[in-house]
Amino acid sequence: MHVYEVFVKKDGRDEFRHAGALEAANDELAVVLAREAYLRRAEGDRLWVVRRDHVVAAADDFVGPNADKPHRHHDGAAVAARRKASRQSQQ
Amino acid sequence: MSEQGAIREFLLAFADDEHLMGQQHTEWIGVAPFLEEDLAFSSIGQDELGHAAMLYELVLELDGIEPTDTAVDLLAFGRPSHAYRCCHLVEYVTEDWAEALVRHWIYDAFEEKRWHLVAGSSVPKLAAIAGKALQEEAFHRRHADALLDKLLEAPQARKRILDALEAVAPMVPGLCEAAAGEARAVAEGATAGATADLLEPLVRAIDERFGRSTAAGLTADDPADGQARRTRRSGSFEPLMARMREVLDFDPEAVW
Repeated sequence: MHVYEVFVKKDGRDEFRHAGALEAANDELAVVLAREAYLRRAEGDRLWVVRRDHVVAAADDFVGPNADKPHRHHDGAAVAARRKASRQSQQ
Repeated sequence: MSEQGAIREFLLAFADDEHLMGQQHTEWIGVAPFLEEDLAFSSIGQDELGHAAMLYELVLELDGIEPTDTAVDLLAFGRPSHAYRCCHLVEYVTEDWAEALVRHWIYDAFEEKRWHLVAGSSVPKLAAIAGKALQEEAFHRRHADALLDKLLEAPQARKRILDALEAVAPMVPGLCEAAAGEARAVAEGATAGATADLLEPLVRAIDERFGRSTAAGLTADDPADGQARRTRRSGSFEPLMARMREVLDFDPEAVW
């Protein structure tokens, strides 16, 4: 048996989204079973299943260091703070 | 038998098969071998129940009765046993998953051929129902084949499947038995051919699917009277129908 990750796409311009996972003995059974487990109420009109062991996953700590880099956020907070400081120093 | 009466009998046999088959498939919800199969198999059963409902509506229209939900329920659940026209294969009650799966494959292989026969029916609503049903049948067949492809590879599963085939095979000729009035329905163009003519291609398909000759196992399930099985109920019918009517019988007048 293999674990398959299930992706579903609604019609229109929506992207494929992860819907869940299931266990199946082969690709055909995964597709057949995913249809009724995840799409039986017209949750989408297209279906992908991907074997979990075919997913290229980065190591758990690979992305971790990026959690502490507020300067990469585009909310303008840093610039606003500097402009405010500048205004106040001119008064 | 009048033209309308003949077509009615023909449709009733079709509807009763779909009704009982749908009911029995849906009963696997919660007890199929694994969760996804619970959902898939009972979804397929729902499709069959949908076909039954549409066919019962058509029968009521031929009877000149407005096909309200109550009228459909009465036709589906309220007739005396002798007025049902289902075959013994769909009446057969089993708790064996292998038998349920083999019956699912055989029934849908037959049903697909049966819908093809009415796809160009002179009864426009029947042709329309066939169009919808055939789309659903493609999935039913793919589901049954996907499971059997895998299970027949494994010796232990293969043995269970083939034992199940042996148990179910005697009921196959009854599945292909014509309803009364069918000849007239063919003559009127309601259906394109005789149901009995589907037996030979069905048996060929079964042999190919299961890799063995089933012909020897196809002796009628009631050798004393191999004919008119659709007008006589098997022993499975009464307890099955009693179970199906259990809630309805609490209060037959209740509005749902």
